[in-house]
Amino acid sequence: MLRLDAITVCYGKVPALREVSLEVHAGELVTLIGANGAGKTTTLKAISGLLSLASGSIEFEGVPIANTRPRDVLARGIAHCPEGRRVFPELTVRENLAMGAYLRRDQAGIADDLERIFAKLPRLKERIGQIAGTLSGGEQQMLAIARSLMSRPRLMLFDEPSLGLAPNLVERVFEIIAEIRREGTTVLMVEQNALAALEMCDRAYLLETGQMVLAGAGRDLLENPHMRRAYLGG
Amino acid sequence: MDQILQHALNGVVLGGTYALLGIGLTLIFGIMRVVNFTHGELYAFGAYLAYLFVALLHLDFFLSIALAALAGFALGALIELVLLRPLRSNDIDTVMLVMIGAWIALQNGEQFVWGGVAKLVPSPFAQEPLVIGPVSVAPLRLFVLGATLVLLVGFYWLIDRTRLGMAMRATFQDRDTAALMGIDVRGIYTLTFALGSALAAIAGALLGPIFLVNPTMGNLVGLKAFAIVILGGLGNITGATIGGFVLALVEEFGAGYLSSEYRDAFGFLVIIAVLALRPQGFFARKARVG
Ligand SMILES: Nc1ncnc2c1ncn2[C@@H]1O[C@H](COP(=O)(O)OP(=O)(O)OP(=O)(O)O)[C@@H](O)[C@H]1O
Ligand SMILES: [Mg+2]
Repeated sequence: MLRLDAITVCYGKVPALREVSLEVHAGELVTLIGANGAGKTTTLKAISGLLSLASGSIEFEGVPIANTRPRDVLARGIAHCPEGRRVFPELTVRENLAMGAYLRRDQAGIADDLERIFAKLPRLKERIGQIAGTLSGGEQQMLAIARSLMSRPRLMLFDEPSLGLAPNLVERVFEIIAEIRREGTTVLMVEQNALAALEMCDRAYLLETGQMVLAGAGRDLLENPHMRRAYLGG
Repeated sequence: MDQILQHALNGVVLGGTYALLGIGLTLIFGIMRVVNFTHGELYAFGAYLAYLFVALLHLDFFLSIALAALAGFALGALIELVLLRPLRSNDIDTVMLVMIGAWIALQNGEQFVWGGVAKLVPSPFAQEPLVIGPVSVAPLRLFVLGATLVLLVGFYWLIDRTRLGMAMRATFQDRDTAALMGIDVRGIYTLTFALGSALAAIAGALLGPIFLVNPTMGNLVGLKAFAIVILGGLGNITGATIGGFVLALVEEFGAGYLSSEYRDAFGFLVIIAVLALRPQGFFARKARVG
């Protein structure tokens, strides 16, 4: 479904990613693991069109999407739920959700999707008129996820969805992501919480200082000595 | 007492146009972060176009004002596309120098085209002031007040109630995330600059018939617009609206009760006081937009 082929991405002259390749098949939940500054966010930004490539290529369902605008990537069916939630702080919950459906014109479909999301996340419905900046961290993360779903993506990119959340909320967020996948949306998730990510994913990639160093099934990587030593606490 | 009411009315009439100018600049300077030295020139541009359309081409007065606003929108869009868009990734000093250049070029262009002699824009309204209870007001001024109020309401409606306005607010709050929602953020920036410029041009077209039109009229007005933006808090649209009215009322009462020669100085005294006491402006919010 998604194929990154030897992509290199630079900030100025400094490369943040060097010849990174990665693949996601339809229906999978793939996770991308790495330490601070490894280049995980950069990878997602390159996919969604926020950054352009110095070299390499990105294909989605056989169509090259590298170096196009974010709106074109979104229109093809990839939604990117960014690191740090990034809800629009001075818009209401309702307006944030409407922004998620910005490219859609099917009012009836949008209303249906809203109902389905509210069934899943009733707290958001209670807060529909509230300014997003006044929500708690957990609520903001739920809103960010819901907002991304409003575009009806076929592939969802999550960037550290558990970042800065209390343990019970972390669990809830992972549950929701697993549910999104069960309902048929393919997922590529960036996580620092390696143990949880490896346990829930089908396949995983490990990024270290801009280079892909390991790839494999989640349970295989759980057993991998390098992974255990560096990311799973022994 | 009657005097107070009269000054207040005059201040409110002037304040409406100041509010338009302030909102236009707070969009561009406060939110887009472009130190826009051309704002006063867009005001002069609007006034000269009103002169061109009404006095030289004999077009309908109201149509002329609308056309001046459209032309201001187009000139603003052109400035953004030609000068600012290619400089988006440059630092603020570069952009500032370019905008100073544009300011000088526009002003000299006006001088070249229209000459240094001040122009008068004729208006279709009667000269006889209307007497309403204790105050009197020229019909033209009443029209200017009505037009600015309609524009202010229309602008708030655009920003608060429309899909486009929501996309603008989202872009101002978080540019990258707005792009991820499918918003054409570059288009929003062009539109915002054009809209801000149109507000300056229409302010010029509305005040043109009240004051005289001359090539350097934009300088003082540009400065005042910056003052209003600072008074209202950078990027705060409601602050700019209130700031516009406050500045006009201070000028009007200062001129009426203290000294009419120092009319323009009173406004700037207020700004100095604000900068000294409350540098974030009166209506600054905790979480900034943009
Ligand atoms: N806007 C930027 N300008 C310059 N360098 C950047 C920029 N953003 C990221 N970098 C650098 O690129 C490298 C990769 O950053 P990236 O944000 O992709 O890491 P990450 O794996 O997402 O880290 P984290 O876990 O902290 O989110 C880092 O060395 C970082 O310092
Ligand atoms: Mg990151």
